[in-house]
Amino acid sequence: MDDARVIESSWREPQRFAVLFDRHAPHIHRYLARRVGRQVADDLVGETFLAAFARRDRYDLAYTDARPWLYGIATNLAGQHHRDEARQHRIRQATAAEPAVPGHAEQVAADVTAQAMRTLLGTALAALPAADRDVLLLIAWEQLTYQEVSRALAIPVGTVQSRLHRARTKVRQVLAGTDAGATYEELTTNE
Amino acid sequence: MNEMELLRELAQQTPLPAPAELDAARARLLAAITTDPATYATALAEVTIGQPDPPAGQLRPPAPVLSAAKFMYGGAISSAALLIAALPFIGATHGKVLGHPLTPTLTITLGAVAGLALIGLWLWMARATSQGKNWARILSTVLFALATLELLSALEGIGKDGVVQALFAGLTWLSGLAAVWMLWRPASSAFFKSAKAARSRPPSQIPGP
Repeated sequence: MDDARVIESSWREPQRFAVLFDRHAPHIHRYLARRVGRQVADDLVGETFLAAFARRDRYDLAYTDARPWLYGIATNLAGQHHRDEARQHRIRQATAAEPAVPGHAEQVAADVTAQAMRTLLGTALAALPAADRDVLLLIAWEQLTYQEVSRALAIPVGTVQSRLHRARTKVRQVLAGTDAGATYEELTTNE
Repeated sequence: MNEMELLRELAQQTPLPAPAELDAARARLLAAITTDPATYATALAEVTIGQPDPPAGQLRPPAPVLSAAKFMYGGAISSAALLIAALPFIGATHGKVLGHPLTPTLTITLGAVAGLALIGLWLWMARATSQGKNWARILSTVLFALATLELLSALEGIGKDGVVQALFAGLTWLSGLAAVWMLWRPASSAFFKSAKAARSRPPSQIPGP
């Protein structure tokens, strides 16, 4: 049974909505964890599904996949959270490295490089306008299509494309303009 | 490797949450589900298994249908106000029926009857749509379309004395618009479909013990 049918059946049998939770909550949680950190994600994933449940009677059944709808709600909640918290700090925290595990020299070097890139990307993402960042992350992290992002954020596909282009350009500029830019240059020349 | 691939690669280092991490969120959702009005209807259906299904008219309408009914009751009130505001002017109009001029008393009587019929129509549609009757939804929509045309023609000939009437007429039309909008929401369509299925279900299909 696709998502639209699950939502339709939940209009008369609300407990059916739990199927949607079991199906998508892990991925929505991971998306939120990347954006706001795991601790806050625990709260926001609950709020995402509560909001979706409350608005289920307005869901357009023409869309069989509910993921863009859920990502849209999650993105709005993450945006509200960012307005309450210091945005840059949170993004750095969300992209912060796990504690390094002792290993051989190559592994340690790889970890250091990955850590440098995380910090760089965190800085680059923090510098983006929220609207551009939402588009970039939904496409890069969640691998939504332009049409799905358009649905999630309620913006035209053309706007998705222009925001993505702008975000990518800015990320490239930020990465290239830092001391660690050499690492980025090295990586990008290995394409 | 470009910045998109780099982002994806770093993102992959964030694992999916363990099931236990989602327990609190799931519990919150289940609590909301338990307190949802539609759950009461489902629970009632479960404990009454073995008894005949309730008639279609007793199905609990979803929120948009209830809202539509409220707008219709609002439309009835607005129509009543419009009738009261218009009565003093009705007698001054020079109506004709089949070429014969009407007396002021007859004109007022006919105007009042038409106004009361309109109010009755609002109340009838509100009741019928709440009971899941799809014909009432269709008729309401047709009546709204006719009311829109009538309002447009009435507004063209309105004078300074008719400002109050125009205000009430506008309010009545807005009530109709809101009601029709609510009647065609996806949840409303599902309700009308369920009600139709319940009405057409033969007695042999009523679940037994």
